[in-house]
Amino acid sequence: MSHSTNHRPLPAGFETLQPFVSKWAGATSLERMTTRAEADYAEIKDFYDAMVEKAEDAIALINQYPLKAMPEDVENLAKLTLALCQAAVAIEFHGQPRAPGTPYPNSIKLTKGMFPLG
Amino acid sequence: MNSRAEFSVKTRGTLTEDAGLSTDPVPLSVYRSREFYEQEKEQIFRRAWLLVGRVEELPSPGCFVRKELPPFGFSALITHSKSGKIQAFYNACPHRGSTIVHEAEGKSGRLVCPYHRWSFSHDGELVGITDEGNFFDIDKKKCGLKTIATDIWDGWIFINLQPEPEVSLEQFLGPLKDFLGGVNYISPDNYFSFTAELDSNWKTAADAFIETYHIPHIHPETLATTFSSGINPYARLLDAKILGSHRAVSMFGNNTYQPKSGSRVEAIGQSLSKRGSVIAAANKEAAEAFLSHPAVNPTNSPHWSMDVNAIFPHVQIDFGPGGFWVHHFWPAGHDKTAYEARFYAAEAKTFSERFQQELYLTRVAEVVLEDLCNLLHTQQGINSGAFDVMPLQDSEIAIRHSVEEVIKWVNAESVKEILP
Repeated sequence: MSHSTNHRPLPAGFETLQPFVSKWAGATSLERMTTRAEADYAEIKDFYDAMVEKAEDAIALINQYPLKAMPEDVENLAKLTLALCQAAVAIEFHGQPRAPGTPYPNSIKLTKGMFPLG
Repeated sequence: MNSRAEFSVKTRGTLTEDAGLSTDPVPLSVYRSREFYEQEKEQIFRRAWLLVGRVEELPSPGCFVRKELPPFGFSALITHSKSGKIQAFYNACPHRGSTIVHEAEGKSGRLVCPYHRWSFSHDGELVGITDEGNFFDIDKKKCGLKTIATDIWDGWIFINLQPEPEVSLEQFLGPLKDFLGGVNYISPDNYFSFTAELDSNWKTAADAFIETYHIPHIHPETLATTFSSGINPYARLLDAKILGSHRAVSMFGNNTYQPKSGSRVEAIGQSLSKRGSVIAAANKEAAEAFLSHPAVNPTNSPHWSMDVNAIFPHVQIDFGPGGFWVHHFWPAGHDKTAYEARFYAAEAKTFSERFQQELYLTRVAEVVLEDLCNLLHTQQGINSGAFDVMPLQDSEIAIRHSVEEVIKWVNAESVKEILP
């Protein structure tokens, strides 16, 4: 664990989120969407519960950096925070990983995301 | 119950009758017939002006974009030349027909066919032939790219596949031009986009995005509470306008909407949003200029959510409190649709803005997914042949008008006789 931790650090104060980095801190919206769609509900819930507690602190911290030049640890935190949007779809809307009755995989492709990390 | 009646009936008559449209059931055969689809290709998609993109996609000379034309299985190549002209061409080499540009977009000094390295300027002129001396008196002037009629209106690029279009773009747009002209499109140079292959007729797909009657049922968690409420539980339309072959509807919104108590992430997004809209406007002035246009929330309703402007035949330009977005419903067969949606928003300046965009994008993807599944179910029922007609209610006025126009175009011998 500590080995991979050092590879993808988070800013001080966000240590409780470290176990979620390798799975949830995807670099693009598409990656984060895929992670949620393919995760178990329990996994999503674990990440959601941990991340939602820190979300406002995380947003406040990341807001202090220019989006074009985030330090690596801040960028990792930004990826995790954006992944919360995906987790929230499962937890707050559907009560399951994906929309009820919808096929997976399906033909919907996110062809262009927003800057940065989109 | 009283408040419901107050909203729906007392404030206006029926939209359908006021627009002079029939209230009869509407034929379903146009949604399933292969023969009718072949006619649509020739009579509609080969004759109408087709909206294919925006000028911001080609910001400077040397830029090019490739646009698929799914009804026909070939692509158009649109260029921005040194002289500043934006022009569409067949994406085919005049030598032996090979596709010239394979990427979706790019920028280059010349356009080079990969097959035998013939090269072209962005004006379509043939500039260079490899081993030219081995040809037989070839006239380079006659070997340029073949143009496709192109015109631009308010930043929208239209093409027309008729060698000489029967009507101008201005005539084609007709009353739509007056209605939508001059809209201040917010952040037209920045967007996120989705594509999907839909197992439905192109009209079945477009229909699902221009009526609100289905929203409380198909999108119970993602949209229902933003589009309906106690005073309008079935999300009846605020307004509808028939604009030649085009049309516009204005949709109800629930301005008392609050996220559910358990929706903590949505509540965070809402608290971050200063304007009550998750699509951040580039600046306040731009947003105000956009919102003050008469076609944006045309009834000035405090209960407004969004407008859908259907540009015949296959595009919808939508307006919401924070900006605009666009759906393309390209037919790719009688029961296949090549769908693309682009949602425009300013590049985020802060992470708060970026987070709101991601919340929005995530929700949009879920809505598209819900619609995609619903479309398959709808198309299967249509294809079963169980029914020949569909009864449409007042909030489905745009579907009624769409079918009317499609049939009109298919039957018309000339485009001129359709347009006033």
